[in-house]
Amino acid sequence: MTLAALLIPLVGGVLAWATPGRARGAVAVLAAVAAFVAALFLPTAAPVDVAWLPAFGAGLRLDPSGASSVLVLAAALAMIPTVLTAAVRVRERTGTFLGLLLIMQAMLAGLFLASDLLAFYVFWEAALIPSLVLLGVFGGERRRGAVTKYLIYAVSGSFLMLVSIIAVRVLSGAESFAFHELAPAARELDAVTQGWLFAGFAAAFVVKLPLFPLHSWLIDFHRENHPSGAADVAGTLYKVGGFGFFAWAIPLLPDGALVLQPYLLTAAAVTALWGALAATRQEDLKSLLAYASLSHMGLIGVGLFSLTEIGLAGAMLLLAAQMLSTGGMFLLSGMMHARRGSFALDRFGGLARSAPALAAVSLFVIFAAIGVPGLSNFPGEFLALLGAAQASVFLAAVALASVIAAGVYGVNLYQRLYQGRQVEGTHDLRAVEVAILAPIVAGVLWFGLAPANAADRIDDGARVAVHGPDRPVPAEGGAASEPPLATAGGER
Amino acid sequence: MNDPAAWVALAPLLALAGALINGLAGRAMRAPRAGIVATAAVGAGFVLSLIALLALAGRDDRSVSVALWPYASVGGLDLSFGFLIDPLSVLMLTVVTGVGTLIHLFSIGYMRGDDGHARYFALLNLFVAAMTVLLLADGFVLLFVGWEGVGVASYLLIGFWYRTRANADAARKAFVMNRIGDAGFLMAMFLTAGAFGTLHIASVNEAAVGMAFGSATLGAIGVLLLIAAAGKSAQLPLQTWLPDAMAGPTPVSALIHAATMVTAGVYLIARTAPIFAMTPFASAVVAWIGAATALVAAIAAIAQTDVKKVLAYSTVSQLGFMFVAVGVGAYWVAIFHVFTHAFFKAALFLGAGSVIHALGGEQDLRRMGGLGAKMPITGLTALIATLAIAGVPLLSGFFSKDAILLHALTSTHLDGYGTTGLYGVLLLVAVLTAFYMFRWYHRVFAGRFRGDAKTFAAVHEAPATMTVPLVVLAAFSVGAGWLGLPAFAFPNVLQGWLEPATLGGLVSMPFDHPALWVEWLLLGVAVAAAGVGLGLGAWVYVARDGAPARRFGDGAVAAFARGGLGFDAAYRALFVGGAQGAADGVAVLDRDLVDRGLLGAGTALGTFGRAAAAIQTGRVRTYAATMFAALVILLLLLAWTGART
Repeated sequence: MTLAALLIPLVGGVLAWATPGRARGAVAVLAAVAAFVAALFLPTAAPVDVAWLPAFGAGLRLDPSGASSVLVLAAALAMIPTVLTAAVRVRERTGTFLGLLLIMQAMLAGLFLASDLLAFYVFWEAALIPSLVLLGVFGGERRRGAVTKYLIYAVSGSFLMLVSIIAVRVLSGAESFAFHELAPAARELDAVTQGWLFAGFAAAFVVKLPLFPLHSWLIDFHRENHPSGAADVAGTLYKVGGFGFFAWAIPLLPDGALVLQPYLLTAAAVTALWGALAATRQEDLKSLLAYASLSHMGLIGVGLFSLTEIGLAGAMLLLAAQMLSTGGMFLLSGMMHARRGSFALDRFGGLARSAPALAAVSLFVIFAAIGVPGLSNFPGEFLALLGAAQASVFLAAVALASVIAAGVYGVNLYQRLYQGRQVEGTHDLRAVEVAILAPIVAGVLWFGLAPANAADRIDDGARVAVHGPDRPVPAEGGAASEPPLATAGGER
Repeated sequence: MNDPAAWVALAPLLALAGALINGLAGRAMRAPRAGIVATAAVGAGFVLSLIALLALAGRDDRSVSVALWPYASVGGLDLSFGFLIDPLSVLMLTVVTGVGTLIHLFSIGYMRGDDGHARYFALLNLFVAAMTVLLLADGFVLLFVGWEGVGVASYLLIGFWYRTRANADAARKAFVMNRIGDAGFLMAMFLTAGAFGTLHIASVNEAAVGMAFGSATLGAIGVLLLIAAAGKSAQLPLQTWLPDAMAGPTPVSALIHAATMVTAGVYLIARTAPIFAMTPFASAVVAWIGAATALVAAIAAIAQTDVKKVLAYSTVSQLGFMFVAVGVGAYWVAIFHVFTHAFFKAALFLGAGSVIHALGGEQDLRRMGGLGAKMPITGLTALIATLAIAGVPLLSGFFSKDAILLHALTSTHLDGYGTTGLYGVLLLVAVLTAFYMFRWYHRVFAGRFRGDAKTFAAVHEAPATMTVPLVVLAAFSVGAGWLGLPAFAFPNVLQGWLEPATLGGLVSMPFDHPALWVEWLLLGVAVAAAGVGLGLGAWVYVARDGAPARRFGDGAVAAFARGGLGFDAAYRALFVGGAQGAADGVAVLDRDLVDRGLLGAGTALGTFGRAAAAIQTGRVRTYAATMFAALVILLLLLAWTGART
């Protein structure tokens, strides 16, 4: 079943590409649904270990435990409406678009599931190609500049990560790139070495998160992508820098993380506030969403760099949740564009009168995105900030200020789209739009009301990240023997 | 669920069901069907609340826990959802669902003919669902779900008539100012979790009592909780959203912005009473914020010309009284005033609504007057409520306000923080309250009508769905205070009911009754305050026919008071301008510096620049080549290390 989560979208993508005519949309949607069903079974699935480059100790190792299964599931859920949107809204070279989306999903599944560092790196890079082609082929007028910028940022970061990947194995003397062999050995390295190695990983992950001031590719990326919003969702799912820290950099190099913690935590807190403040002043819907998303990434960052179990778990919970909320916002932006042919906010206003259902769903997703409790983003945001406050009350307060700014941009956005005088009416939700939004709404409620299951699995991963892979899961009531909210390197 | 007291756990679900029915099937819900469904949903919750109230009253163990579901458990922090049914939550639930039912009923008549009928009732039910969750929650996180939930419902109802820009702006302002308070709440939770390792309220209270008296951690948590409470309850410096919130339909103002939601801040502090009992510093901040707010808002209330804004500022002022009560450690007294205030203020707002309805949307006091004769039920119920809030003896407001004054003066909890000053301020506010309420009643119902004759001719009493709630609320405005008669001479039911629930037997709040003659004297002073205020009103508006007010009314001082004592203007200049400036700065910097600067620096490096140029020309092909090159390097390195070992 673990392999299926990767192969179903891959095969589905190739089939959708090859299928002629209208049927390819159906093939793609079917594949996306099947991939989602497969992802549902991941928590009970067995790990996979396929020999790949045995000479180098690299293998196609996939482990569905911990945060991986949650992220694959959230991505698979977000992909269903995305594929549906692309099938309906992309008029030219639809097959290519659908194929790229599904192949990207497959690569992301591999990236999340990989328990082999080299396999992780390959999936990491492989996922870039469909994302790049989607922008390069289907993007707007100024896509050339956006592609260039995206590439420069991505490639330069990745290169440094590759150096670290090799160095971490060489220096630690681990037998292979498998996590269970690499982690115990790497954690033995001295703090200075760990710090340099961590910096190499951080180069790639910080750009991909992204954190201030390395985020400008993100804004152009979203502004120039296909107006349906489908490619933006794919891009949102690909904001995996936080996952890289969570699953690899921090558990392998905890002392290195500690060295860089002050800088990264500061950058993350600034990112959260910076993005939210910038979002309040945007006149373009997609730019606003891009900055709002940047702000969320800052919150994910403060959770991660708190280096507390709670903060790390919150960060991954938020990463999964924002796939649905931010993804939903981008799909809604596509629906707005379909109605007006523009993302300029001053082209809208008063639409709640002619499109009440669209207004209601939009407000629901906006509230989810700005962290209203009971909806998807709150649990992750709350835990990430709670963790951050244990590391630095001041920086947590800086990041927390973004919650207020989020209230401003969220309510502003709703007001400018739906309230006030209606200059020009529009039609309400069509049947296909209802089908597109239904999985988003369901996911937002699921993550918002009952995140316990996802949180449990993510917490397993967070425990490994903080305490290392050897530490057994504490028995019932065993938590009392140590203070709650312990930090990585708790001996400090 | 064998325990009848536990059935009230279904109240939020009932209200939510009502909201969903009206929200999803809105088109099929023609008037008055939507209103009936919504009223029934809340009414059923009221019945369950009453059952719980009676069940708890008849036994000694008055605390029932209902486990809901595990929300999340991460890193040793258990965030399970559960309800706590105890005297405090049940009393508040009874008020919220009881007053809520009456206001839903009133709305059936009030909102007839509005094309957003079903949406209105869906939102009103949504509010009740969130509010009941807030009250029942046994943990801070679930409480916060209700807390922001009522904020969301309030936002949607203030902006209910969203096509008018001013209404949408008022809604936005309320939401953002509430979010400032919410940020305080979140930070309070972060510090609490850090200090105690739990966010279960009862456990936190228990742990707080184990801390050193006056500990800095508790002080910080207390002040942060106060920020949260100030946002929701419109206290200084976050009070300015509430007068603007009057942009919503008037029954909404009655339910959310007078009787229930705005008291959530008081409830929060009462719920966490042991924390405040352990930190006089935070308590003193609470009390003085309350006293300052009470005074500022009372002054502003005098100068208002809008029939609803007088009441809005009055609400802010009365909430200040409640804050003083929780500040001085008289938690049951604060809830007592929440209880009585809910009735007379709801009656006043619904009375205002009845008048606005009769005048076809007119809200300006300067074009009212003499309506008592044409609307006898509205007029009489408004008079009763006016006298109750003014503090006329034997009516409900008198007893709760007197209890606050007594405790403000005699509290030992705030020794060294100027309790006499608190008492003095509140006494002055009591005089002002009686005065501005006399003015309000007189400008609306007495004297002669100041609008055009045609409007006056069309005025008639409201239909029964609107007058019945008025009569019931007026009756409670009279009698609600008898549950908390002055303890030195009479039986007091409320204190014994509430005190174990707030302080939880964890910590005692010493209160020494002063000598009997002092108690009687204080009672007399309170009566005198109401008399002075009402007498002043009678002199200005009856004896001198409003001449002093007219002379005063056009001056700069009155304009200053009418504008809420300059807070709005100052905030616009300082914070709104400042934040917008900062955001503008960020937006520009992001475009010009971050965007170009880093890339510019990158291209300055020769090789990097050429690489970039190469990538630009070939794009994906070059990228593939780069990856290939990277892989070759990787393989070479591995081969090298393999050879070495």
